[in-house]
Amino acid sequence: MLSLRSSMTELNCSQWQITMKITAKKFALSLYESVEGKSPSQVKHAIEEFVKLLAEKNQLSASDKIVAEFIKIWNEKHGIVEAEVTSANGFSRDMIKLIKGHVTELSGAKEVLLSEKIDKNILGGVVIRYGDKIIDGSIKTQLEELKDRMVK
Amino acid sequence: MSITKDFIVEQLKEQIAGFKSEVKHETVGRVIEIGDGIARIEGISEVMMSEMLEFITAKGSIYGVALNLEEDRVGAIILGDYLGIKEGDEVKCLNKILEVPVGNSIIGRVVDPLGAPLDGKGEIQAEKFYPVEKIAPGVITRESVRQPVQTGIKAIDAIIPIGRGQRELIIGDRQIGKSAIAIDTIINQKGQNMKCIYVAIGQKESKVAGIVAKLEEAGAMEYTTVVLAGASDPASLLYVAPYAGCAMAEYFLDKGEDVLIVYDDLSKHAVAYREISLLLRRPPGREAYPGDVFYLHSRLLERACKLSKEFGGGSITALPIIETQSGDMSAYIPTNVISITDGQIYLMPELFYQGSRPAVDAGLSVSRVGSSAQIKAMKKVAGKMKLEAAQFRELAAFAQFGSDLDKDTKAKLERGKRLQEIFKQGQYSPVPVANQILVFFALINGLTDDVPVEKISEFEAGLYKYAANSGAKILKEIAEKKELSEKLEGEMKTLVMDYKTTLEYLIK
Repeated sequence: MLSLRSSMTELNCSQWQITMKITAKKFALSLYESVEGKSPSQVKHAIEEFVKLLAEKNQLSASDKIVAEFIKIWNEKHGIVEAEVTSANGFSRDMIKLIKGHVTELSGAKEVLLSEKIDKNILGGVVIRYGDKIIDGSIKTQLEELKDRMVK
Repeated sequence: MSITKDFIVEQLKEQIAGFKSEVKHETVGRVIEIGDGIARIEGISEVMMSEMLEFITAKGSIYGVALNLEEDRVGAIILGDYLGIKEGDEVKCLNKILEVPVGNSIIGRVVDPLGAPLDGKGEIQAEKFYPVEKIAPGVITRESVRQPVQTGIKAIDAIIPIGRGQRELIIGDRQIGKSAIAIDTIINQKGQNMKCIYVAIGQKESKVAGIVAKLEEAGAMEYTTVVLAGASDPASLLYVAPYAGCAMAEYFLDKGEDVLIVYDDLSKHAVAYREISLLLRRPPGREAYPGDVFYLHSRLLERACKLSKEFGGGSITALPIIETQSGDMSAYIPTNVISITDGQIYLMPELFYQGSRPAVDAGLSVSRVGSSAQIKAMKKVAGKMKLEAAQFRELAAFAQFGSDLDKDTKAKLERGKRLQEIFKQGQYSPVPVANQILVFFALINGLTDDVPVEKISEFEAGLYKYAANSGAKILKEIAEKKELSEKLEGEMKTLVMDYKTTLEYLIK
């Protein structure tokens, strides 16, 4: 509770610096700080207070952005990486496990949340996306590369 | 037929067998804001400063450069048409700093700041790629400027000599012949072992087309490259153009050759950079230019250099051009560039409209390298000319009030009038250094005192013609030995005297 109070005073402080706008990221960060390592009831209270603060600051409309930022911060602090695997025909369980292991190794994350996507357009192979990285091993890209090379 | 078919199939198989696709690990981002040639990008967390970016759009790839690395976004300039890029488009890092093709194949071509041809003469087969931004050569690699750049313009070669490796600013108002001086200098580099690069920044394309035609006519395109960022090109290309031109020059420098590079003009370059900076929301300073506008020009002009023998002995001579607004030399950009360069050629509107063209002001123009960039023969005849030319202007203004002048002053005035007349020179007609020395020799030895002032140009043209016919040996000796021996001086004197006997308009 104390930490929420302190981060709220921080936000209040920045109010009189009229030019300083409180960004969604700052809201999300203070929310994270105030709920981290708390019991469920405390968290519930903190969130209530937080929403009150948002209402007071006329920032309820920015809630989507704050949620998005909060997820980012949460994932970052807990070493979670979201990854998306695209294939033409879907993968077997073993394959998914293998990819998961590979991404974990590459990103150095503790946990990888893998989502699967099927896209016939890539013809075959696999495209892995995590964070702002992309590993493109699709047949479509390789064919295009081959075409470029042949044209040259 | 079947043989060719088999051959093709065989080749195809070979190619495919040799094809190895690597799965690349790439960093990507997304465009979150686009407009005015600036994109803001989310993601690409590992992007480098001034790294090339590839925007993947529905119409194909468009390239850009990252300029602002902020906390959670990246500001980039787009090199080319930004209208094809939409919000949400994917952006890839290319893991390389912006670079341009360099090599002998760019000589004689007109290219854009990214090295793509603009003259319709086909693809450029680049030997190498050089980064656009490079740190200038250090103290150890440099040498003092000694060899001259013969501009072929009498007023400049005599009183404001330019050396190889020097940076000489050409400054003046619009439309008084700044570019003309640079173009004449390029034309005069024929046979002087000099590669030339003309960087047009924000110039009208019709004007550049005219310049290219003129250079071609004079046979100067054999050693010249034109880098063009026209008035209609986006600010990003205008900003990159001089650095790209300099990178092309550095290729020849590394081969130990001498290069002359003209930046026409840097005031437009500063304006383009101001536009980019303001759009990237960097704080504005004086005249709304960003804080690093000095560094913008200093890092460019520091790349002009004369390397010592151990480092190849090449040189880059820079002739930046700055346009002033109604003679205001104390504006921000002119003062900056004046302080960076090794001297300036100041062009004066008054002189231009009086008809003394090129309108070089002898008083305000300086060359900080000075006479060490002149050949000995020129040093001898042009030694006191700068002083005389500057004194004459003052004396002439003073003499307007009274007619009673002592003999000495009168003689000085008469000499000055002839000097001023000799400094007049038409556009696209550079004078070889031997001819210059001959005519200056005639002037300082009083051989022109009996030529009427209004006949001086006629006298001069006749003298060149006469010397080409009957004094070719003397001209050759001046050009080769670059020194005036007493014997040679005597021969020159007789040559001029002989020529004068053929004239009818002399004052008796």
